[in-house]
Amino acid sequence: MPFACIFVPDFPVEAVVRAEPRLREQALAVLAGKPPLVKVFAVNEKARDCGVEPGMTKLQAEASSEVALRPRSLLQEAAAHAALLDGAQSFSPRVEDTAADTVILDLAGLERLFGAVAGIARDLARRIADLGLEANVAVAANPDAAMHAARGFPGITVIPNGKEAERLGDLPVDVLLGNFRSQESGKQKPDVQDKDQRALEILATLDRWGVRNCRTLAALPEVALSERLGQAGLRLQKMARGTTGRSLLASEPALDFEEAVELEYPVELLEPLAFLLNRLLEQLCARLSARALATNELRLRLELQNSPQRHGDTEKIDDFEIDDCRLKNQKTNSSSRMNADERGSESIPHSSFINHPFSRNSKLETHDFTDNWQPTTDNCSLYARALHLPLPMLNPKTFLKLLQLELQAHPPGAPVNKVWLAAEPVRPRAAQAGLFLPLSPEPEKLELTLARLAGVVGKTRAGSPEVLDTHRPENFRLRHFAPAAPRQKMEMPERPGALTALRLFRPALRASVLMHAGAPVRITAAIQPEVRGEIVWSAGPWHASGEWWKEDAWAREEWDVILQNETGAALYRLYRNASSGQWFVEGTYD
Amino acid sequence: MYIELHSRSAFSFLEGSSLPEELAGVCAQLSMPAMALLDRDGVYGAPRFHLAAKKLGVRAHIGAEITFSPQRHRDTEGIEELKNEECRMKCEQPTTDTERRTSSPPMNADQRGSGSIHHSSFSIHHWHRNSRLETRNSAGHRPLTTDHCARLPLLAASRAAYQNLCRLITRMKMRGPKDAPPEQIAATADDLAEFSQGLVCLTGDEHGPLAAALARGGIEQGRRAVELLIHIFGRENVYVELQRHFHREQEARNQAAVEIACSLGLPLLATNGVSYASPARGVGDGSHAISEREVLDVFTCLRHHRTLDTAGRLLARNGERYVKSPQEMARLFADLPRAIAATEELSSRLEFTLNDLGYEFPRYPVPEGENMMSFLRQRTEEGFRERYGRATRDLRQRAKRQIERELALIEKLDLSGYFLIVWDIVSFCRQQRILVQGRGSAANSAVCYSLGITAVDPVGMDLLFERFLSEERGEWPDIDLDLPSGDQRERAIQYVYERYSQRGAAMTANVITYRGRLAAREMGKVLGFDTETLDRLSGLVGSWEYKDPSDTLERQFGQAGFDLCHPRMRKYFELCLAVQDLPRHLGQHSGGMVICQGQLDSVVPLEPASMPGRVVVQWDKEDCADLGIIKVDLLGLGMMAVLEDCLHLIPEHYGEEVDLAHLPPDDPEVYSVLQKADTIGMFQIESRAQMSCLPRLRPANFYDIVVQVAIIRPGPIVGEMVNPYIKRRQGREPLHYPHPSLEPVLARTLGVPLFQEQLLRMAMIAAGFTGGEAEELRRAFGFKRSEARMRDIEVKLRAGMQRNGITPEAQEEIIHSITSFALYGFPESHAASFALLAYASAYLKTHYLAAFTAALLNNQPMGFYSPATIVKDAQRHGLKIKPIDVMKSDWLCTVEQWPVAGSQLPVEQSALSSQHSATVPSALGSRPSADCSRGSVIPSESEPSLRGEDESRDLALDFSPQTDADQRGSGAICQSAIGNRQFSRNLTLETRNSVRLGLRYVKGLREEAARAIVRQRSQRPFTSIDDLARHVPELRKNELVTLAQIGALNSVTTVQWHRRDALWQVERAARAAGPLLEGIAERDSASPLARMSNEERLVADFRGTGLTVGRHPMAYRRVQLRGVQRACDLQNIKHGRRVRIAGSIIARQRPGTARGFVFLSLEDETGIANAIITPDLFEKNRLLLIREQFLLIEGTLQNLDHVLSVKANRVLPLQVSSAEIASHDFH
Repeated sequence: MPFACIFVPDFPVEAVVRAEPRLREQALAVLAGKPPLVKVFAVNEKARDCGVEPGMTKLQAEASSEVALRPRSLLQEAAAHAALLDGAQSFSPRVEDTAADTVILDLAGLERLFGAVAGIARDLARRIADLGLEANVAVAANPDAAMHAARGFPGITVIPNGKEAERLGDLPVDVLLGNFRSQESGKQKPDVQDKDQRALEILATLDRWGVRNCRTLAALPEVALSERLGQAGLRLQKMARGTTGRSLLASEPALDFEEAVELEYPVELLEPLAFLLNRLLEQLCARLSARALATNELRLRLELQNSPQRHGDTEKIDDFEIDDCRLKNQKTNSSSRMNADERGSESIPHSSFINHPFSRNSKLETHDFTDNWQPTTDNCSLYARALHLPLPMLNPKTFLKLLQLELQAHPPGAPVNKVWLAAEPVRPRAAQAGLFLPLSPEPEKLELTLARLAGVVGKTRAGSPEVLDTHRPENFRLRHFAPAAPRQKMEMPERPGALTALRLFRPALRASVLMHAGAPVRITAAIQPEVRGEIVWSAGPWHASGEWWKEDAWAREEWDVILQNETGAALYRLYRNASSGQWFVEGTYD
Repeated sequence: MYIELHSRSAFSFLEGSSLPEELAGVCAQLSMPAMALLDRDGVYGAPRFHLAAKKLGVRAHIGAEITFSPQRHRDTEGIEELKNEECRMKCEQPTTDTERRTSSPPMNADQRGSGSIHHSSFSIHHWHRNSRLETRNSAGHRPLTTDHCARLPLLAASRAAYQNLCRLITRMKMRGPKDAPPEQIAATADDLAEFSQGLVCLTGDEHGPLAAALARGGIEQGRRAVELLIHIFGRENVYVELQRHFHREQEARNQAAVEIACSLGLPLLATNGVSYASPARGVGDGSHAISEREVLDVFTCLRHHRTLDTAGRLLARNGERYVKSPQEMARLFADLPRAIAATEELSSRLEFTLNDLGYEFPRYPVPEGENMMSFLRQRTEEGFRERYGRATRDLRQRAKRQIERELALIEKLDLSGYFLIVWDIVSFCRQQRILVQGRGSAANSAVCYSLGITAVDPVGMDLLFERFLSEERGEWPDIDLDLPSGDQRERAIQYVYERYSQRGAAMTANVITYRGRLAAREMGKVLGFDTETLDRLSGLVGSWEYKDPSDTLERQFGQAGFDLCHPRMRKYFELCLAVQDLPRHLGQHSGGMVICQGQLDSVVPLEPASMPGRVVVQWDKEDCADLGIIKVDLLGLGMMAVLEDCLHLIPEHYGEEVDLAHLPPDDPEVYSVLQKADTIGMFQIESRAQMSCLPRLRPANFYDIVVQVAIIRPGPIVGEMVNPYIKRRQGREPLHYPHPSLEPVLARTLGVPLFQEQLLRMAMIAAGFTGGEAEELRRAFGFKRSEARMRDIEVKLRAGMQRNGITPEAQEEIIHSITSFALYGFPESHAASFALLAYASAYLKTHYLAAFTAALLNNQPMGFYSPATIVKDAQRHGLKIKPIDVMKSDWLCTVEQWPVAGSQLPVEQSALSSQHSATVPSALGSRPSADCSRGSVIPSESEPSLRGEDESRDLALDFSPQTDADQRGSGAICQSAIGNRQFSRNLTLETRNSVRLGLRYVKGLREEAARAIVRQRSQRPFTSIDDLARHVPELRKNELVTLAQIGALNSVTTVQWHRRDALWQVERAARAAGPLLEGIAERDSASPLARMSNEERLVADFRGTGLTVGRHPMAYRRVQLRGVQRACDLQNIKHGRRVRIAGSIIARQRPGTARGFVFLSLEDETGIANAIITPDLFEKNRLLLIREQFLLIEGTLQNLDHVLSVKANRVLPLQVSSAEIASHDFH
């Protein structure tokens, strides 16, 4: 019962090369991290020859002019991984998605279809190469042996049945560690660190014993080994002998919910486009419904004709500027099981977003909407948006409305040639509202309302406020609104002191202020005529500044003033931005 | 006029960001006549502030911010009333304050009271009678008072007040352990009441008791808090403090304070709550400026263990806490001029300054009918008879005259008590058989010599007494005592504590300041850098003494891969520079003790030290000295401990008694060794620089050693005095004196000034200086040199020389000698004291190598070389070093008898004959082969090739067939050795001393576990590793593993086995057997594992012990190193020939005096070779030279006067071993 394993060495580098094939012959280093702490994450062999190693800083890597540097892209890695799976699944229905860089296939019965296993291994390697990846392929009688051979030997390796121990004998024992860890750690997340630690301890013990290759490990007496390393040691020994008997953890075929339409004539208006989208959405929802699924993410991709300059609202995503919170929100799906530690910080170059097919694995980033745009050929360009939903839904009308709002806010800017639409399948929401909870809008409706609001005021300006711990005024940010669970009524302590409320002008009113003897004496706010006149009383200045270690350090001077004009007296708060010198009226006191 | 009466310096430790001198400087700049320093719970910065202010003509008021908890125990009436009030409040509001604070949502700034600064009596929010104010600190909005602790500013109006303040702080500090949280040690109202006399109290800022009370219970509570202060300190001593930092909420508090002050009839007092001197400080070369507030923010983060990004409102709201000018303050308080006027009034009340410290050195108790002077005279006379009883008449008479002169001065200066106290300590040490020796300038005193405090005869050596004590200096003498480091020194320290009580004696402090690595690490933490980056960044801050102009931090950053153009990295860089030299925390000085007549805690506050039983004062030794507090330094000296250990080991293992006071003074073997620079492990003369000088200087008597000790110092080197002295000594240069009148002074150093005393005498003779003036000159050019002072002295010096008719050229020469020399020269007396130790160490090493080596290894770390080098050196001298063995090793290294076949020469003697060569005796103990030039590597008998695996059963293996496969790598050498062993069976057995390494060398092995091994072993030898693990349950698995890895378990079993067998067994022994098999000990058996290779063994040895007793790693590579000379070969090669050397780098030096040259010491199996790297070559190969453990160096041999070094012109990395060999770098 032969198994084949496909392993892609230096996977993050390969993922980049797949998107930029011209880098294949070059020394290449992949970088990750946030500035100024950007470091080399992975390198290819040529880069190693140039002295560049993972862990070096960007500046050190730049010292070697022959090495091309690219930011790490989880997106490209996800795509590369999907391609790896596709390649494997095109040979066998039973494929184990072992790791981002590793898949194992069950080759049982395939000889009749594809010939001898050696031939299959060659074909597999060729197929993976066609998909833009250079991989090692190994065939053995059990999955672990195949995997270890693929990880340990370059090129194609076929281990005849019964020769596993002999062939694996020269491999260093740490090749076994990856698989050992994954099996030891199982699915219990809290134990993962402990198990990893245990695996490392065993490796250290073996190293002390001078047991550095599989042959030596395989030769140790079993009982004595068990007395010293327990069952974990025995399992490791079996792996070294190539005699583990585990069954393949075959993954389900990917749940691929994607629809596309190619247009005879380019569509220029949103209305006919909405018609097309509606059709696609209904199809998608029908398919999801048939499998009792819903979606929490829709991805739209349009091929545009003769793309002109993109208009100004394209969200710019700088290299290295994607912060962690986006990554944390990123969801895994069945077809892209990236380990948490493999994610790290992502850097997504503009060019990398859409130069591969808009597939189920094309993880876009995680704002509610994301967009990408880049010319692909001389005559067309691509437009892509992702719509993230706070909870699984399955209502084509809601989807359509949301997409329409999105397209209105971010028009493609050019006639559309092709439309792709994909849905991320998830289990539908199975929660029931509590009997005694106050009524709240239907989630779908709420989402629509929020989307409308965001469309009007901007997506960073709608949501729930969260107060930040800083001296900076306006010290809050908006988070995506989610109805909170009802809280116990909080008893507010009695505050007998006089409290004064400040009503803020948003945005603050620009004003010109006349100073005399260090105090403001007259103010004119251009926008609001009533905020104009002589200052009859002032208190201040109140100085505040902060975040001096950041580029957006701030400093300001505040005054409380009473303004006397024809409408009467009113109490205002003024401030002067220390860096610009500009005056503003921030609010008025009740 | 405004006077700042509330300021904190950086000595508030992370709560202020300016040094006291900076505060005083700004104060003077602003023409402020006085200023008060109130550091947090201490007067840490007071001496520096006082001295700086004194120089600038500013009056320095002293006080402190005291952590105060009014809620703690109280028994006064007013306090009782407060308690009732609190009960009332509790009834009204069941939640605690803490709960209230946590349950209440934070108010917006706008919801809180607001006041006016700008000329207005109108307030937006009125302060209501019972309203509570959420207290927020200047560093943020959060309540600062935790658990009702507030900070109470107290000012000392009189000496009594100051003494009260010191005692109050001492009481607080002694309540808890070192670094106890303020809440734990807070002063109670009782404490304050007890020590309130003379103290003036301010109501404090947002940290103060008034603000805390306002926050708790509004204006009424605030009033009661102030009433409590009035009750404690008296109405005339309480001032209601106002600060204006442009905060709304602060203004609201001010309004409440004004109201309370009016209602209670108390004066208002304006302060600025200063935390730093000026708004910004220049950093580095002055091209950058960083705001002082930024530094304070960083400190705030460090105090709260936050990063800047997470500190939020803990950080300062603005940067207003600098010293503001009187005009600025007057403008700020234009509406309250009386608050400004009160500052001057209060300042005039504060009469106390540190000039009036009231310190008095303790009186020594003398028998009835005696006084201290007569008692001292008697003790001196007794000592005189003992010291000079057998001296020549002339010397005796001179000594008598000198002693009389000294005693007269001592009497005049009323120092008899001091001498008696030091004598008392020395006497205690002698009674307890603790080695003790005075060092430093005290050795210039014949009285000290007579009292047994010092060991060098100052009259015989014609030393200058004025260097020690003079009337003009107006300073206390300084006597430093060297004691064996470790327990013995601790006994002496505890004796002083016992004798003068815990409140009468204390250690001086050592202020830990921000320096390179500490700054780099903490600034990085605050900026949120990850651990790896922090390691890398702090690693950048090298400690190379020499800095070439291009070796900028920018460049170092660039080389390490960090971009200083990035704003955050730039900020990091600036912060690192800005915090340099700022205090971080208080440590304990290694040996300085201060003693006081009466209560020391009324002179300076005392604190517990981290070491149990130790008390430390809040000032460092410089501060103590500056304020006229006498200190006695009880310094731990590793070599003293070595000598003391030798005194025990030698009688036990050699059957001879050694008296250090009566060592043969002219032992030819010792001088022979010194002349060959075979001095590894010897005191002060073992460094590379010393070794390169010894063969040229060729010491032949004790005074030569004194010169040798003194000559390799930056002073003589910078003053270019080394070469002239050596050339004159060698007869290659004629004697020359700057002026004939100086001949008597400089004759014995051949016309070259080498000692500080000579410098003083030169000034006295050439310029007519008195002894005191000359000492003043030395100090002016010394560590605390000031340009102005140096100029003044130079003018005086020139004038004096002019008067004495000295030519301008000679004047220049003399002044050059003095200026370049004074900073780093040794006093002759000090050099002589050290020379005694150097000679003693040389004598013991030469004659008692095993004892000396064991003692040296037991007192590591000390000296210039690592234990690995010391072991190799001892082996090259023929000493057998036995490996660590759980069946034989103690915690410390021990001397063991080692039976060997009939040897004709004692091993030390044979070693002498082969010194400085690579030869070692063979296994038979025969005379060592001196033939290094044959090119074959002759293994030491202690090397494993002759002893079987891991040398653990040394005797048995020495005569048993070689069976250990680990040794197969030794090849032919092993075969010949085996042949020799067979031959030796017919020879008689003798014993020699060898050294058994102690368990202390096992890295990671706890002393507790090691001692348990020794204890259990003494009851019954272990029969197996399982048996060991069962009987020593203290042993952890990792410790067992390390022991197995280094071969220390090889002899536990009777079967032949190797380290891997032990490792195999340890793995099972360390696993719990389960209840069924618990009582059954497993027998050891051989493992299926392969033996360790030589490389593996080396790696295990160095990783597990930091050294190997086996062959040097280079020995294994020797065959492949064709054309590479061994260290011992170099002496046979002519000067100027091209050579290649290779070895492990054991020392890298880049001295400040060497203009960028780097000196490497390469060790191979035959010895140590030195290489000189030019600055250019260093630049080209920087990483290689810094990082590589083994190097191959090609260059030109310099073989001059038997001093060997290779001037490198090519450096290559060498793959020898991956063992981590320690290198002593960057001196």
